[in-house]
Amino acid sequence: MAEAMAYSLSLSLLYLGLLCGNGLVSARGSELFTPDPSRGPHFTGCRSREQETFRCWWSTGTFQNLTEPGALRVFYQTKNALEWRECPDYTRTVENECYFNKTFTHIWTSYCIQLRSVPQNITYDDTCFTVENIVHPDPPIGLNWTLLNVSRSGLHFDVLVRWAPPPSADVQMGWMSLVYQVQYRVKNASHWEMLDLESGTQQSLYGLHTDKECEVRVRCKMLAFDNFGEFSDSIFVHVAQIPSKESTFPTTLVLIFGVIGVVILLVLLIFSQQQRLMVIFLPPIPAPKIKGIDPELLKNGKLDQLNSLLSSQDMYKPDFYHEDPWVEFIQLDLDDPAEKNESSDTQHLLGLSRSGSSHVLNFKSDDDSGRASCYDPELPNPEDLASLLPAHSGRGENHPLVSSSSPSIPDLGIQQTSEVEETPIQTQPAVHSWGNMDFYAQVSDFTPAGGVVLSPGQLNSSPEKKKEEENEKKIQLQLLSDGAYTSENTARQLDVPPSPGPEQGYHAFPTQAVEGNLWNGEYLVSAGDSQTPYLLPEAPPAPTLPPVSDYTVVQEVDAQHSLLLNPPSSQPALCPHTPNKHLPAMPTMPMGYLTPDLLGNLNP
Amino acid sequence: MCVCVSSVLQVWLCCVSLWPCWLSHAVPLDCKDETGSLAHCTSISQEKLLDRVIQHAELIYRVSEESCTLFEEMFVPYPLHTLRNQGGNMCHTKPFPIPGSKSEIQQISDKWLLHSVLMLVQSWMEPLMYLQTTLNRYDDAPDALLNKTKWVSDKLLSLEQGVVVLIRKMLDEGILTSSSIFEHALNPYDEQSPEMLESVLRDYNLLICFKKDAHKMETFLKLLKCRQSNKLSCLSY
Repeated sequence: MAEAMAYSLSLSLLYLGLLCGNGLVSARGSELFTPDPSRGPHFTGCRSREQETFRCWWSTGTFQNLTEPGALRVFYQTKNALEWRECPDYTRTVENECYFNKTFTHIWTSYCIQLRSVPQNITYDDTCFTVENIVHPDPPIGLNWTLLNVSRSGLHFDVLVRWAPPPSADVQMGWMSLVYQVQYRVKNASHWEMLDLESGTQQSLYGLHTDKECEVRVRCKMLAFDNFGEFSDSIFVHVAQIPSKESTFPTTLVLIFGVIGVVILLVLLIFSQQQRLMVIFLPPIPAPKIKGIDPELLKNGKLDQLNSLLSSQDMYKPDFYHEDPWVEFIQLDLDDPAEKNESSDTQHLLGLSRSGSSHVLNFKSDDDSGRASCYDPELPNPEDLASLLPAHSGRGENHPLVSSSSPSIPDLGIQQTSEVEETPIQTQPAVHSWGNMDFYAQVSDFTPAGGVVLSPGQLNSSPEKKKEEENEKKIQLQLLSDGAYTSENTARQLDVPPSPGPEQGYHAFPTQAVEGNLWNGEYLVSAGDSQTPYLLPEAPPAPTLPPVSDYTVVQEVDAQHSLLLNPPSSQPALCPHTPNKHLPAMPTMPMGYLTPDLLGNLNP
Repeated sequence: MCVCVSSVLQVWLCCVSLWPCWLSHAVPLDCKDETGSLAHCTSISQEKLLDRVIQHAELIYRVSEESCTLFEEMFVPYPLHTLRNQGGNMCHTKPFPIPGSKSEIQQISDKWLLHSVLMLVQSWMEPLMYLQTTLNRYDDAPDALLNKTKWVSDKLLSLEQGVVVLIRKMLDEGILTSSSIFEHALNPYDEQSPEMLESVLRDYNLLICFKKDAHKMETFLKLLKCRQSNKLSCLSY
C-alpha cells in the first residue's frame, strides 16, 4: 500500500516537472542544434556513436563572462547511483565538450546531466536521457556497386549496391543491431529516392537509366531506434548505353521485306493461275445439256438432224426397256447369224434380193432399238412364227408375215419345207410382195418360252401399194439405220393393216398412258385389259369391221392429256380411241416425232 | 515421537502432493505432440537452437518497440513523450543487478548470461498479463496494440522454453523453474487507478521498461552467440 502511494506520487511529480521545464534533449534523442544565443548556458546536444561512449556539448549563450574554462561544469547522475558526479573527461581539444568513455557509459539506464556554475551554485540546464536513445551510428563504409543486368532495349539496367557496417559499431557481437537506408538520385536532381530499411549489407536498384549518372548513398540507424547516422560518401553509377539498334534494325527490315515478297508472290500466283483458281473456287454451274447434243443444235438445228441425234441417244432406249423387262425376252433368234451380214436389212425387208438368205429379217431382238412400239419390225423366223400361231389355222388366214415371206424369200420357204412348218407358208401364193406385207405386226400373245405371238393384221392387197413400198425404201432405210425406230408417219405410209379388232388392236395411245412415254411398252398392251403384259386372247377375225389403222400421228395433246391423233388418210378409223379433248396445241411435227421438250409439254 | 513421525509424514506427503505442481510449473523439457503425450523429439543442434532463441528475442524486442510507439501516439500527451527518452524510471527492480556497460557485460560468464535472460523473461510474464487486461479497459485501444501485447506474451513463453533448454544443454543444469519469485514485485500493478492519466502513464512506463528489458535479452543472447562462434572477437578488449 505504501509502495503504491509512493509510486503514484512520484509519477505525478514527474509529470509536473516535465510540464514545467522542457528538457533540452528532445524526445527523439539528442540532436546537435545551433546554440541559442538568447538563452543562458545550455546543453546543445549529446551523442553516442557506438553505444559505448558518448559526448555532450554545451554553450555559454549570452553569458559571455562565463567563457573561461572551468566556469561551467557538468554533473551527471545515473539511476544506478543517485549521486551527482562531475564529467569524467572534459575534452581538451574541443570546447565545451564532455566525453564519457566506456567505463562511464551504461546502457539501459538513464542519465541526467546538469550544467552548473559552481561558484554561484546555479544550475543553468539539465536533461535526462538514456544512451541508446542518443546513438547516431557512423556511416557505413565500402560502398560499391555491380551491374546485375541490362534490359533488352538497352535503356535500363539493374545494379547491386554493397557496403559494410561502420567499424565502430560492434554488430558482430550483437551490441548494436543496425538497419540501413539507401538513397539514390539522378545526378544533379533535387529529389532523392529512398528505399526501405535493409537489415542486410546489400541492396538492389532496379530500373536505372543508361547514359545517366546515378548517385547512391547509404546511412544506418539502430534497430528500434530513430536516430539515423550520417550519410556515407556518394558513389556514382554509370552504364554506357550499348548501341543495339543495329541488331534490331536489320531484323525489322528483313521482316518487312519478307512480308512484301510473300505478298507479291501470292499476287503473281493468283494472276498466273487465274483460270484454274476460278474453276476451283467458282466452279461453273453445269448448263443443262444432253450428252452428245450441241445445245445450239437444239435451238437452231434442223429437225432431221435432231431426230437422228435423238434416235441415237441411248438415254431413251433404256427408258423403254427398263420399265418393261419382259421386252427383253423377245427373242427372235435367227438360224444363221452369219448370213445376216451378207445382205442388208433393206433387202430383207423389201424381199428383192433374197438369195441364199434364209432370214426374213435380221433384226435381233436383243438389239432394243426402239422396238417397243406399235411397230414390231422384228420379224421372227417363219418357223417361230408358225409356232407362234398355234391357234391359227394359218391357212385360211393371211398371215402377214408368213404370207409375205413366201414370195420374197423363196429360199426360206424352201428351207422350211423340211420342217414341220405348215405349208401355209408355202401355200400362200406369192401374191403379196414384201411391200404389201405389213412391216408391223401386232403382238397378241407371248409364248411361255418368250416368243411373241403375233396377231394377223388386215392387209390391203392392193398391188399399187408397191409404189408406196418403194417410196418407203427410203424410210425403211432410215428405219433400219436407226434401228427400227419408226414413226407414225412411216407406219401410215406403210399401209398399216387394220387391226383385227379395235378392242384387240394396239392401242397406240392408251388413254391412261398418255402421260407416259409414248414409246414405251404399254403400246403392246391392249387397252381393254390391264397393263401387265400377258398373252392376249386371239382376236377372232372381224372381217366386218372396216380396216382400222393401228398407228397414227399424234396431232395434239389434249388438256386432259389425251392425244389427238391424225387419222390416216386411208383408214377412217383411228387407232387410238382418244376422245377429242382439248389439248394444248402442239406444233406440227413433220415426222411425228416428239421432241423431248414437246414431250415435256405433255406433262401437266 | 508420534508427532514427529506424523509431521515428517505430513511434510513428505506435502512434498509428494506438490511435486506435480512443481512439475507443472516447470518448463516442459521434452517434446509434446498435440495429444499431450510425451513423444520423441527430433534433435536440434545447439547452434540452431541458439539462433532460434535469438530470433525470438529480436522479434519480441521489435514488437515491444512498436507497441510502445502505438501506445504513445494514442494515449500519451505530447509533452510527456520525453519520458521515453528517459528509459523508464520506475521499472521494477530485479533480484540481481544487471551491468549496463559493454565492458562489464563482456565479463559476464555464459552461465550468468543465460540465467539473466531467463530471469528477465520470467519477470515479465505477469506484468504482460496485467497489461493485456488494462489495455482492454481503454475505450479506443487499437486492435494492433492489443494483438501485439498478446503476441508478445505468447512468444515470451516460447522464449523461456528455449532458454531453459539452452541452459540444460550448455550448462548441463536442470532447472525447475517457477515464476513465483517475482510475485511480490507485482503488487503495485494490482491496484487499479481511477485516474486516467495515471493509468496511462503507468502503462506507458510499463511498455518502456519492457522494451528495455527485451533489448537486454537480445543483447545477452547475441553476445552468447558471438562467444559460441568466435571467442576471440567477442572478448573484452
